Amino acid sequence: MNKDVPVLRVQDLTKHFPAGRGKVVHAVDNVSFQIPRGKTFGLVGESGCGKSTCARTIIRIYEPTGGKVYLGHDDISILSQKELLPHRQRMQMIFQDPYASLNARMTVHDIIAEPLRAHGVFASRQEESERVNDMLAQVGLNREHASRYAHEFSGGQRQRVGIARALIIHPELVICDEPISALDVSIQAQIVNMLRKFQQEQALTYLFIAHDLSMVRYVSDEVGVMYLGQLVETCAADEIYATPLHPYTQGLLAAIPIPDPKVAREKRAAGLEGDLPSPIDPPSGCRFHTRCPHATERCKAEVPSLKDVGAGHCVACHLIND
Amino acid sequence: MNNRWERVSLSQEESERIFRKARSFAGDVWFRFRRKPTALLGLILALLMVLFGLIGPFMTPYNYSQQETKLANIPPLMTVYPGPDDSYFFVTEALKVIEVDPEGHLVRQLRKKEDDAKHKQTSFKYDDDTSVVLDYSIKPYVMLDEYGQRIEQGVRKWNASHLLGTDHLGRDILTRLMYGARISLMVAFIAATVNMLIGILYGGVSGYLGGRTDAIMMRVVDIIATIPLTLYVILIKVCLDDGLISIIVALSSVYWVDMARVVRGQVLSLKNQEFVLAARTIGSSTKNILLRHLIPNAMGPILVTVTMLIPSAIFMEAFMSFIGIGIAPPMASLGTMCNDATEALRTNPYQLFLPAIAICIIMFAFNFIGDGLRDALDPKLKK
Ligand SMILES: Nc1ncnc2c1ncn2[C@@H]1O[C@H](COP(=O)(O)OP(=O)(O)OP(=O)(O)O)[C@@H](O)[C@H]1O
Ligand SMILES: [Mg+2]
Repeated sequence: MNKDVPVLRVQDLTKHFPAGRGKVVHAVDNVSFQIPRGKTFGLVGESGCGKSTCARTIIRIYEPTGGKVYLGHDDISILSQKELLPHRQRMQMIFQDPYASLNARMTVHDIIAEPLRAHGVFASRQEESERVNDMLAQVGLNREHASRYAHEFSGGQRQRVGIARALIIHPELVICDEPISALDVSIQAQIVNMLRKFQQEQALTYLFIAHDLSMVRYVSDEVGVMYLGQLVETCAADEIYATPLHPYTQGLLAAIPIPDPKVAREKRAAGLEGDLPSPIDPPSGCRFHTRCPHATERCKAEVPSLKDVGAGHCVACHLIND
Repeated sequence: MNNRWERVSLSQEESERIFRKARSFAGDVWFRFRRKPTALLGLILALLMVLFGLIGPFMTPYNYSQQETKLANIPPLMTVYPGPDDSYFFVTEALKVIEVDPEGHLVRQLRKKEDDAKHKQTSFKYDDDTSVVLDYSIKPYVMLDEYGQRIEQGVRKWNASHLLGTDHLGRDILTRLMYGARISLMVAFIAATVNMLIGILYGGVSGYLGGRTDAIMMRVVDIIATIPLTLYVILIKVCLDDGLISIIVALSSVYWVDMARVVRGQVLSLKNQEFVLAARTIGSSTKNILLRHLIPNAMGPILVTVTMLIPSAIFMEAFMSFIGIGIAPPMASLGTMCNDATEALRTNPYQLFLPAIAICIIMFAFNFIGDGLRDALDPKLKK
């Protein structure tokens, strides 16, 4: 396959939910990004800004309101669910809640084998259970665990089961929707390291969703910051820490606790104030203007577009773009 | 002294081990179910009733339709007159004299020797030289021996030939109870199964598809549910022929609405949970998602609804049979037995009492089971 074609390319993806009385929730609006093979794109933003909706629309749990999603060369956003079926092998998802994402009535073996069965990968049970046991070993569980039910496991172990289920059919793209935010800090590192190990071994492409920037820096190659359904800034992961341009990104960074109190006092930038406005009636112009310390009249009237300010660093802010 | 607070080191392997015994969902439910005495009692009673209905008919010498009119209306506990040779006499309502042996078996009916209309006396021949006389010139009648001496009644004997007595046609009540329990349970089980299948399918599809389909399907359910079910069953039953099949059809076409609502509610709340979304992203078929994910997770409320549905089906069948549109005679059902008994309610209350008790036991048993299951399935009560 052509190396230059990104594994995932999202173009102007939009998802609106009906909210009754003719109103709509603008959960995702005109989001565009792409992820090259073997790379990780980190998507961050406050709770409720539309990250999960974005992921679920890409993987077609939700039908997109508008925009395109290319998986390699294929535009999967126009396919029907039936036509999409063979492509489902190529993208998988790891969910946030390790408790809700595993069926309590199925054994671990059945959970992990489900993708194999859905796509008819193996004809014989023998091959299937070999593959499952192999996968269990790779995620750090053993074959004794296969006959157990999910409720007997800890959160970290469950998340490993979830990862095994997502990776067993060798997808190209894995969407991780906050895979670690429900786990203990000590387990978080284990899971992240495991995900990185798989990425190196199988050249996996990750869309990694998180709601704070601290972990994203460690796992991502590129980072996109989302605010109220829109991408406001995308750039290389290191750069977002070094030179955050959008006032919202700066606010998010200020919210990360800094271990050293001396450094913390010096760096005391303006944190975020106020609450996320309702996605039902998003603010006019720049959606961040209600909370932005530098907002001008122009920000209220005109919608800023995501512009490249050099070296692939894109920002949607009137103050920066001029 | 060595350090008691020494750090215990666990290898990675050990820290991941699970020590609790693997217990499947069903095992878990059974564990909690059997700790509730009423639930266990209900289960035992229900099993006994099932055995009674299934095996009972093979153990009795009688048949549900076998009539013996001369032995009509004989109660389980007979008040008998002592006679010669250790034998006893029982006088039936129709003033027939039956010889009863010391164990309580009904031996024979005594032949009428002579009817003296003037003195209002009838004599019955016991053997060639002994006879007994029934004197009905006074009320209540008295029994005289052949010398005209009054025989005192007072001994009570349990009816060994018909343990629970006979009905107005002389049929053995115990046997009819067995057949009745069999019919009632069969009707209830079939109706419950059919209702469960229809309800799961209807509710599952409605809940899973959602949107407009759901709205239309649920309006249909609402409409069916607003008609009083009793009335509805009677109407269906009137349109169909008499018999077992039609009663099952009538019950099966009505009670699924509750089940459909329960399943729909469950499916609605489950279908947006992450494990169902995961199954969709995996590409599992809708059929698999319904059968392997949604319905197994909704099984708790489904089971409870089914066990609660069984007593109402039994009651409905009994009720229809009681008002005369159920099982056709001579087939026995608990309801028809109650109906037959109402004619002789004052003189023979046991004939109503026995089938009514049987209905009560079955309904109690299944209600207890349903209650127990609901508690056992409710994870919030999990200890
Ligand atoms: N099925 C739905 N119907 C209607 N509105 C929805 C639906 N799903 C999400 N929303 C709305 O879309 C917005 C974005 O939600 P989303 O779950 O994508 O946020 P998120 O960024 O993933 O938040 P979190 O970090 O808490 O997971 C929210 O305002 C939410 O209320
Ligand atoms: Mg989310």
